[in-house]
Amino acid sequence: MGASQMELSAVAFWVLSTIAVVSAIGVVFFRNIVYAVLSLISTLIAISGLFFNLGAELVGALQILIYAVAIVVFYVLVISTVPQYKGQAIDPKYTLLSLPFGFILFLELAYVSIYGLWASNKGIFSPDIFTKISNVKAVASLLFTKYLFPFEVASLILLVAMIGAILLGRKDIVEDEEGGQ
Amino acid sequence: MVPFEYYVALSGLLMVLGFIGVIIRKNIIAMLLSTELMLNAVNIAFVAFDMKLHDVVGQVFVFFILTIAAAEAAIGLGLIMAIYRMKKDVDVEKLTELKG
Repeated sequence: MGASQMELSAVAFWVLSTIAVVSAIGVVFFRNIVYAVLSLISTLIAISGLFFNLGAELVGALQILIYAVAIVVFYVLVISTVPQYKGQAIDPKYTLLSLPFGFILFLELAYVSIYGLWASNKGIFSPDIFTKISNVKAVASLLFTKYLFPFEVASLILLVAMIGAILLGRKDIVEDEEGGQ
Repeated sequence: MVPFEYYVALSGLLMVLGFIGVIIRKNIIAMLLSTELMLNAVNIAFVAFDMKLHDVVGQVFVFFILTIAAAEAAIGLGLIMAIYRMKKDVDVEKLTELKG
């Protein structure tokens, strides 16, 4: 743990967070929805790099696998089905209105973060433990013991979502009825 | 190490950007994209607090958020496709059947 390593961590944070914020601005303000989705991919990969920088390897890998691949593929599929959006991208009526509300939200988040940190207890997973066991093992040991029931419920939610997406995404029911007659 | 407050500030910034996006965009797909930004902001906050508080519970919750985000994207985009098939439009200003 030299000084250069800490320096590298800081450089990685600034580079990745700059990419994340600039791409997020792109997601919000790009008129063309394809550019917005590409910006979202850039944001997601930068956030995954931030997770690796924080030492959360499992979550960083899942971020790339699930978000930057699976979920973005959904969006690309829907964009290919729904043609290019032609109207105005941003409603000027709400642009000025959104800024004070965004600022209030930021203040509330800051208050909750500081208060929550002050009120919380420290856990048992200190950095010393992570020299002995890996991050993946620590997360998995908690996921498959204390949080086993929510884990199973999450799989059920995915099943329900899959059935729902199939039902919603199929062709018109009217056509089926006409075919039956 | 970078102080964890910077990560929390980045999380707050992304959250506010996603919130502004939900307010000002008029395209349903763009609004869903902004929602993904907000979910990612929460993920960053969870992992940053984990590292500060020496715990891994936040990372378990990030796992659940990823699951819910996948389900939300599948259902939301399925609904958008169904709406587009009926109305031939994805502009929230024009989808006003439920307006009293």
